[in-house]
Amino acid sequence: MIKVNELRKQYATHEAVKGISFSVAQGELFAFLGTNGAGKTTTMNMLCTLLDATSGTVTINGHLLGTQQGNDHIRRSIGVVFQQNVLDARLTVEENIRARAATYHLSKDTYMKNYAFVREYLQLADIEKRYYGTLSGGQKRRADIARALIHRPHILFLDEPTTGLDPKTRQFVWQTIKRLREETNMTVFLTTHYMEEAAVADTVIILKDGRIVAEGTPHTLKMMHAYDVLTLVFTDVMHGEQWLRDRQIAYDEKQGVYTVAVTSPLEALQLLKQAEPFLASFEVVKGTMDDVFLHVTNEEVVSV
Amino acid sequence: MTAFWQLVFRHQKVFRRDKMQVFFSLLSIIIVIALYIVFLQNMQLDAIAQVTTVTDATKAMVNEWLVAGLLSMMAVTTTLGAFGIFVQDRDGHVSIDFLTSPMSRIAIQLSYVVHAWMIGLLSTVLALSVCIVFLGVTSGSWLTIGTIAEVLGLLTLSVLLASACNMLVIVFLQSQQAFSTFATLVGTLLGFLCGIYIPFGVVPSFIQTAIMYFPISHTTLLLRQALMEDSMASVFMGAPASEQLSYMLQYGVVYELHGTLLSTTWSVVYIVAWTVGLGIAGALLFMYKKR
Repeated sequence: MIKVNELRKQYATHEAVKGISFSVAQGELFAFLGTNGAGKTTTMNMLCTLLDATSGTVTINGHLLGTQQGNDHIRRSIGVVFQQNVLDARLTVEENIRARAATYHLSKDTYMKNYAFVREYLQLADIEKRYYGTLSGGQKRRADIARALIHRPHILFLDEPTTGLDPKTRQFVWQTIKRLREETNMTVFLTTHYMEEAAVADTVIILKDGRIVAEGTPHTLKMMHAYDVLTLVFTDVMHGEQWLRDRQIAYDEKQGVYTVAVTSPLEALQLLKQAEPFLASFEVVKGTMDDVFLHVTNEEVVSV
Repeated sequence: MTAFWQLVFRHQKVFRRDKMQVFFSLLSIIIVIALYIVFLQNMQLDAIAQVTTVTDATKAMVNEWLVAGLLSMMAVTTTLGAFGIFVQDRDGHVSIDFLTSPMSRIAIQLSYVVHAWMIGLLSTVLALSVCIVFLGVTSGSWLTIGTIAEVLGLLTLSVLLASACNMLVIVFLQSQQAFSTFATLVGTLLGFLCGIYIPFGVVPSFIQTAIMYFPISHTTLLLRQALMEDSMASVFMGAPASEQLSYMLQYGVVYELHGTLLSTTWSVVYIVAWTVGLGIAGALLFMYKKR
């Protein structure tokens, strides 16, 4: 569906994207992560035909990006939900969607059919006659997604779609994406700062300084870059500490709670059996995408 | 309705619903009317009283002078106000939404120009309608069909020139704040550069020369000639031709550049040349500035 080969973007004195290559299969949920300034938005803008690439090739839905004809076909194939609100505050939701639909040269019948589709999917009935500017953040996001889907694209680009939204709206957005993928086999290209969202993707790419520093499924990335953590509270602290030192297990201690990195829950189980005589309580915490991100970028992650 | 006209329709709706934007595009007109009521009318009438008797025809002539300045100024400020949507869309990232659609870049840009042109024309034609009634009621002098047709033609030309000028400038205005500042400056400058706030003959000769090279001032000039023709003939009936010419030069009804009186044809050609030149330059800039 999307094939990117050695894509580069050079600004006057700064190379924002440094020769990245990846591919996205049809129906896939593809998460594109990175620190601020890593090149995520630049890459997305190039894929959405908003920016010209300096070099490299991109094909989307079989069309070559960068040619007039290719870009026209690509624009018909994609829907974009931007991070910021791009609809008109002084138009109603329906007026906004109608105006945007016109730019896709949809016939009246097609528009009516597509509008009925997005109206149902995004639950627009209660907001379609209201001015976009008077809507809450969550309602605006529903309208934004409806606008992106009005021409029934094959690929949906989502640029940090849930940033600043309340948990209920975020859940609604994700349920909608899930339903779209299940019912229409839509390909979804997502950029996000929320690692828990990336964890449900089929493929994750992490970008740093314009380069791909990690790529794989969330599971493989966690296997490679994240550790499970075993926390222990001992009934006999002296024995517990001695036991850790004897086995040369690296640990961290805070207020009587000992933290140990383990490669798997099975390793944790073996340690727990040995420590059982002087153990008061324990907890096994699975490695997360946060750990992966921190590990490969050496950056702080945004807490959810 | 085609995609292009749907987009133009969208610009119109967004513009019309922004009451403040509509108000500010008319602000300079309100200032002109206020200045006229406060002193511009009396100043002219006092000056005319020194050479001839002030009659209803004189008042009609002076009112027509005001209306000509007002309409030419309106052609510029309303198209500029309408172009505000372009700056607003770019500043508020709305334009990137259009750019991800299959509509051509040129069609998107052109939709803003057509929108501005339509707003300018509609506003000036509406203003002309009000002015016709104003002139008729205040001085009993109703414009003839021929004069109205001539003025409508000149307004079309004025709006085209204003659209071309504004299109070129707004490409460089990156924010709403910059646009607002520019719009305020334009409103004020136009009043002087078109000889509306103060009579043309009062300013120093080098400024007069600059004004004569300023293309928009020629639309004011032509509108004055069209609107004031009958009333001037009535006011200066029997007076020496030199007195009428002196008035016309003093109040910017005719220009004398390097000792030569500029003809109507000269002004029309000058306006058309600028419109075409600025239009091409603006279109090229639009095309090369993708975002």
